[in-house]
Amino acid sequence: MNTTPKKKKPVVDDTQHQGSGDSLAVQPNLGKRILMSEYFVLYLTILYIIVLTPIIPRLWHPMNIQNILSNLWPLLVVAIGQTFVLIIAGIDLSQTSVMAMSSVVGAVVMTRSVDPILFTKSPLWGVFLSEQGGLLSNSIFALPVGIVVMLLVGLFIGFLNGFSVAYFRMPPFIVTLVSMMLFSAMAIFLTKSENIRHLPEAYLEISKNQFFVVSGSLIIAIFVMVLAHILLSRTLFGKRLYAVGINATASQISGVPARRTTITAYMLSGMCASIAAILYSSRLEMGRPTLGSTIFIDIVGANIIGGISLAGGKGKVTWTLFGVFFFIILANSLNMLNLSFYIIDMVKGSVILVAALLDVARNRISREQM
Amino acid sequence: MKKLTVLCIVLVLLVPSLLFSAGAKESDQITIAFCFQDLETEFWVAGHKAITEELREQGIRVIEKNANEDANRQLEQVRDVITQGVDGIILIPQDGESAVTIAKTANEAGVPIGIFNRPPADRSAKNLVVVANNEVIAEAAVEHMAQEAMKLGRKVYPAIMVGDLGDPNAVGRRQGFMNVIAKYPDLWAHPPIEIPTKWDANVALANLQSAMQANPNIDFLFTSSDFLFPVIRSVLAPLGKWVKTGDPNHVILGGLDGDVTAARLLDEGYLDATGVQNLFYEADLMMEAMLEAIRTGDKTPDKWMEDPGFALTQANLDTHAQDMWGWVLYKEM
Repeated sequence: MNTTPKKKKPVVDDTQHQGSGDSLAVQPNLGKRILMSEYFVLYLTILYIIVLTPIIPRLWHPMNIQNILSNLWPLLVVAIGQTFVLIIAGIDLSQTSVMAMSSVVGAVVMTRSVDPILFTKSPLWGVFLSEQGGLLSNSIFALPVGIVVMLLVGLFIGFLNGFSVAYFRMPPFIVTLVSMMLFSAMAIFLTKSENIRHLPEAYLEISKNQFFVVSGSLIIAIFVMVLAHILLSRTLFGKRLYAVGINATASQISGVPARRTTITAYMLSGMCASIAAILYSSRLEMGRPTLGSTIFIDIVGANIIGGISLAGGKGKVTWTLFGVFFFIILANSLNMLNLSFYIIDMVKGSVILVAALLDVARNRISREQM
Repeated sequence: MKKLTVLCIVLVLLVPSLLFSAGAKESDQITIAFCFQDLETEFWVAGHKAITEELREQGIRVIEKNANEDANRQLEQVRDVITQGVDGIILIPQDGESAVTIAKTANEAGVPIGIFNRPPADRSAKNLVVVANNEVIAEAAVEHMAQEAMKLGRKVYPAIMVGDLGDPNAVGRRQGFMNVIAKYPDLWAHPPIEIPTKWDANVALANLQSAMQANPNIDFLFTSSDFLFPVIRSVLAPLGKWVKTGDPNHVILGGLDGDVTAARLLDEGYLDATGVQNLFYEADLMMEAMLEAIRTGDKTPDKWMEDPGFALTQANLDTHAQDMWGWVLYKEM
């Protein structure tokens, strides 16, 4: 969880950090090969679906597929952001507050009207908000400017986090915990805990299905996924991320700009959280100062299930996709089984624990086979 | 290539399951989903019990969903129950704004939805709404408190513990309080202190402590919900102000909900008045309207039903106590 030196191999080894079992020198038995496969979570998900299908007849109902995908896209985007940070052996707890701040700030720019009874005590009242709406209410620039401002909020908070971690060598956990508290509180302070509604129709359309499962959310999420995949697997920046995650000091000695890489990773995390805020707030049709406040465990849980190591240096966007997909299918199926909320959370927690244990087992097997 | 082959085999295995399941038929039994934001207070617990027990007694299958105070999760849960083909949804939303979004989702799916006790922020969606007249009920309770204050023959220092103003219930209760403040301008030593609670006991505790330190003379306190009485006791007791009516140090105390705690405090003499929402009446109204909509095939019923409520005070305790749901439960304990 920090960038201090670790006793690890300083050399970036593609086969190790990307975790493919096929390239191992010694051929392990089938069980180990499945466990070590980078498609392990996908196989598990498919098996889970096969088992569940007769039990939950409506699992494949078109509307349920729409629900699953509608829940998947925003979580996938924010989880991809977390993946960047986890790869450098960090963690970003502030993603939830980035989502809250982004949704509030974006709504302040875009909203077409607000209720004075609710907002007159807001510090934004009379300056950024009025009965006629936000800064750019009813302007054709409201939507693009609102979205750009939301992204800037994420980049800014990400920069603060990354800078503190990289230059002050502060533990990422503490830095992002403080950011989370600070910006969550700020979002509530700015709105006095009120939700900002009456966002532009075009903004609300982002999350709506235009044709079966095709929506703006889908396009945005796939765009982010492809871009992140290229960044991690095809660029120098991606290799630097893995290097920093394996050993920040060694990578710096080797000429990797570790500080810049760290800052960029946190900025990407913040930006992804902002994009997720766009998808969530579009779906809820409002800017909410508490947006995302309960989903951090889902974000990290999906990453861990996907096989992204909390120790850093290991992870792929496809793993995040598999992890998020499994997590969403799990949540959906538990809902469809009509289990109580408490049972659902207990099951989710147990699955994350098992995934973390599997990660330990995979690392051990990997070391044994080297 | 090998991976791709394995993947294809697995996907092919999925197809029969898919075909087997997609056309499966559900039972003909009426199913109603009861989606609530949480069960933090006695009022919601009693409401949950009243609705679910009544529905089950009528042979209706009830699916329960707890959103744990997360509007986004509640939206996902409502979509899930719609997918399950429920015949109706009864919703206790996280707030008035999310109620609108969720009700529109149900409207689009053609599933009747009823909003219980926490009204939508506007009427743009079609829904059954049962709501207490919070302003009138709060005003009745605070009116009794004001009458008690007048008996002291001096000015008093008023304060209100305000709920989450994103919730129209909290707005109505605050307005009821303010109506009485405006009615007797000469009774108050200063403008009322507003103590935010966000419907959260921890927030309420911290803010009430701060308010009592900054304004130690507060002697007229109205809480927008009865579930905060334990918080009030924990703050007033160390100050020597948690005493029964008639004591010189008594803080004139009022609330709203009519829960078991309020019943006990009224019985013991610590509480002056509480506004009562007729919970059982509200539950009956909602269930009757929902079942009627299901029976007639009305997919988007749109009706607002109001619970007039009343105030239970030390003055009418003997005659009206049995009408308060919390009193009934209190006496059953």
